[in-house]
Amino acid sequence: MTYAPSSKLLATLFMTLTFGLASGQAKALTVYTAGPGGLIKQLAAGFHEKTGIKVDVFQATTGKVMARLEAEAANPRADILISASWDTAQDLDQRGWLMPYESPNAAQVPARFKAPTYVAQGISALGIVWNTQSGTPEPRDWADLTGPQFKQVVTMPDPALSGASLDLLLGLQNAQGDAAWKLFETLRDNGMTISGPNAQALTPVLQGAKAAVFGAVDYVSYASVEKGESIKVIFPSSGTAIAPRPMMILKTARQADEARKFIDYVLSEDGQRAVADAWLMPARQDVAAKRPLFKDLALLPETSVSSASRADVLTRFGRVFGQH
Amino acid sequence: MKSLFILAGATLAALGVLVALPMIFVALQAVFPHLAEGSLQNPFGAWSATLANTATLTLVGGTLKLGLGVAAVSAAIGIPLGALRGLFKVPLARLWDALFLVPFLLPPYIAALSWTMALQPRGYLEQVAGFNLGPLLFSPAGVTLAMGLAIFPVVYFAVSRSMAATGARMADVARVFGAGPWRAFLRVTLPLALPAIAASLLLAFTLAIEEYGVPAALGSQAGVAVLTTAIERRLADWPIDLPGAALLSLVLVALALTAYAIQRAVLAGRGFETTTGKPAPLAPGKLGAWRLPVALLFGAVALIAVAAPLASMLAAAFTRHVSAGLSPSNLTLANFAALFDARGEAWEALSTSLALATGTALLAGAVGLLAAWCVAGRHVPGAAVIDGLALLPAALPGVVVGVGLILAWNQPFWPATPYGTWGILLLSYTCLLLPYPVRYVSAALSQIGANLEAAARVHGASAARALRRIVLPLVLPGLAAAMLMVFAVASRELVTSLLLAPAGVQTVSIYVWRQFEQGSVGEGMAMAAVAVAVSLTLMLAATLLRRRQTA
Repeated sequence: MTYAPSSKLLATLFMTLTFGLASGQAKALTVYTAGPGGLIKQLAAGFHEKTGIKVDVFQATTGKVMARLEAEAANPRADILISASWDTAQDLDQRGWLMPYESPNAAQVPARFKAPTYVAQGISALGIVWNTQSGTPEPRDWADLTGPQFKQVVTMPDPALSGASLDLLLGLQNAQGDAAWKLFETLRDNGMTISGPNAQALTPVLQGAKAAVFGAVDYVSYASVEKGESIKVIFPSSGTAIAPRPMMILKTARQADEARKFIDYVLSEDGQRAVADAWLMPARQDVAAKRPLFKDLALLPETSVSSASRADVLTRFGRVFGQH
Repeated sequence: MKSLFILAGATLAALGVLVALPMIFVALQAVFPHLAEGSLQNPFGAWSATLANTATLTLVGGTLKLGLGVAAVSAAIGIPLGALRGLFKVPLARLWDALFLVPFLLPPYIAALSWTMALQPRGYLEQVAGFNLGPLLFSPAGVTLAMGLAIFPVVYFAVSRSMAATGARMADVARVFGAGPWRAFLRVTLPLALPAIAASLLLAFTLAIEEYGVPAALGSQAGVAVLTTAIERRLADWPIDLPGAALLSLVLVALALTAYAIQRAVLAGRGFETTTGKPAPLAPGKLGAWRLPVALLFGAVALIAVAAPLASMLAAAFTRHVSAGLSPSNLTLANFAALFDARGEAWEALSTSLALATGTALLAGAVGLLAAWCVAGRHVPGAAVIDGLALLPAALPGVVVGVGLILAWNQPFWPATPYGTWGILLLSYTCLLLPYPVRYVSAALSQIGANLEAAARVHGASAARALRRIVLPLVLPGLAAAMLMVFAVASRELVTSLLLAPAGVQTVSIYVWRQFEQGSVGEGMAMAAVAVAVSLTLMLAATLLRRRQTA
């Protein structure tokens, strides 16, 4: 047995690798999702309880989720994608990446929140989140944040990372054109900082380092308010964007049947109640929400934007704020 | 002889998979922009655009500035403290040594987030002392300081050991010949320690330019743009830019390799024979009236570099409402409770990290031992290649290894791939941490007389048997220490974990990072505190165990 140690080592190496491979082939459903993390855990657990199907979750920001999908295009792994930006669904649909499916549970979802290949999981809105103890006057509209009282104390989520924030950027550009860019330049000159994906922008506002977030998704803030933090969600008077969170089955899904069952589950009453509990507006109109609905908000006009102009908008935004 | 060749072949194969393969794919992708589509069209197509881009210049400039700044901060703190520790009887010396190890256990990104909570306007410092250091923290100088405070121990330990080894003996000779104490220090003691100082500063530089977590946490607010975050952004943000990520990776590797090559050149042939046959008791100097000031100096550095970030982390972990600030009524255990009732997710992240770190320690230890043994004075074919590959990761930034592993293993032509399983994390950690065991084992091997193994071979043992029965027991202490280091670093690795972890797999670092992305500061910090406590306990247990064995 002169070769024992080397063969043992090789065997260990081999076993670690193959075991790793084998575990990846278990018949689980793979869901890639942008936050909220607590909601997808709830949904995965509820679905597992009901069907016995395990759900593997990759949860990150919309930008990261989409990047991973793109990077894996040659070798796709995701069955279901839940994004925080409606545009991503339109884009993937145009590329022909999506599998058509109309869930019977989607009957109660308004037409504007569904298409043959995707359907909203829930809806968030963007607003100003303001620290009530910051000593600044309560803002009512976007432009209020350009005032001297808000010098150096406004922050904004990075639209390259946060899908919902990108939707707001597009909404403002569609509604106001160059005036929107002027607004951003004024905000930059007033010392507004760009800080990571959307919830990360909230953290300095919680502690009071910043007084307000320009365009935060509301559900994260509502959850913080529920926990007892002294912040307030304000929907600007000139209008804001809502961000329906599209879920879709990828054409390359290995577990298409399970994927359809998962969509059914999320759109079931149980699933939608979980969505409402995460402080989102449920996609189904017959499930109660814990917060204002989109019908109660002043909304920016909607248009669909091509992917080229979305990239342009991001590039232009990056230039204004000197990102690399 | 046969078993020797088998072992060398196996080592070479392992290093090929762990190190060479990802690097080859980074280079290929950088040259062929359409590699991911399986096409070799338009070679070098992305080079002129990327390299002529002013953004690239900004990134290289920012990276160099940060690296040099961190090296300067590390020098300013590490050299004086290291010199005092090496040459004098410093009060509570053991305690300072232990405390300055903590930055290795406290993940840099958590330190950065702790600094943010402490220093930003209305942060803990302002709540306690009435002023804040936000403008300093969110500036290039602040990022440099935050990283310098975490990296200076590298310089401190190198300088103190080197000076302690030289001792005051040589300087005493100079004193006998009429030199004043300062002159003796400047002309004799300091030059003797210079190679160690230079090497440790270059290491600090390399560590700084490879760091991802701190620039990611502070960089955008501080106006610091560096290569690591730019590479991650090109790779992990939509739309992705594989050629750009690969090309910037090559630039970063070139910077790191240059620093590493200079470091090797500085150390090569600069060994001083400071220990002769006779054991001379090295009596550290007495500080006399300086005892108290020196103790205060060490205490101040420990307070700023170790206690402050830890206190901030714990404050956030035990706080119910961030907006309510520090007050007894705001104290809570709820964040810790939330960790362990969230459907076991935190437990899963913790056990995944611990299992991966254990696996990495074993795998890196095994491959590292074999590599060091193959290279050490044995005429194995390919020894130079083995040596180069085994030490290369010391100069490889984590983000580049991540890029390489994605490019290598996400190709459709593999019949099976570890990508998409936790196996890919094991590969990335092992690759990055391989140099620790290689260095420690090489150092131990260089002290073992060649006749021991030869004697075993003469008596009929095969190379493999001699390795197992003679070499392994002798290098075990060094190997074990290296494996502990590997374990500690692997259990907190951030950037390759973020890039490579498949759906359904979470590590401690990802869990903490995601909690911050979600705005759950308290839960993130609670998890960080648990992880730091676990690795601290393991390290202490291991140290105690070793002390008992040697006693």
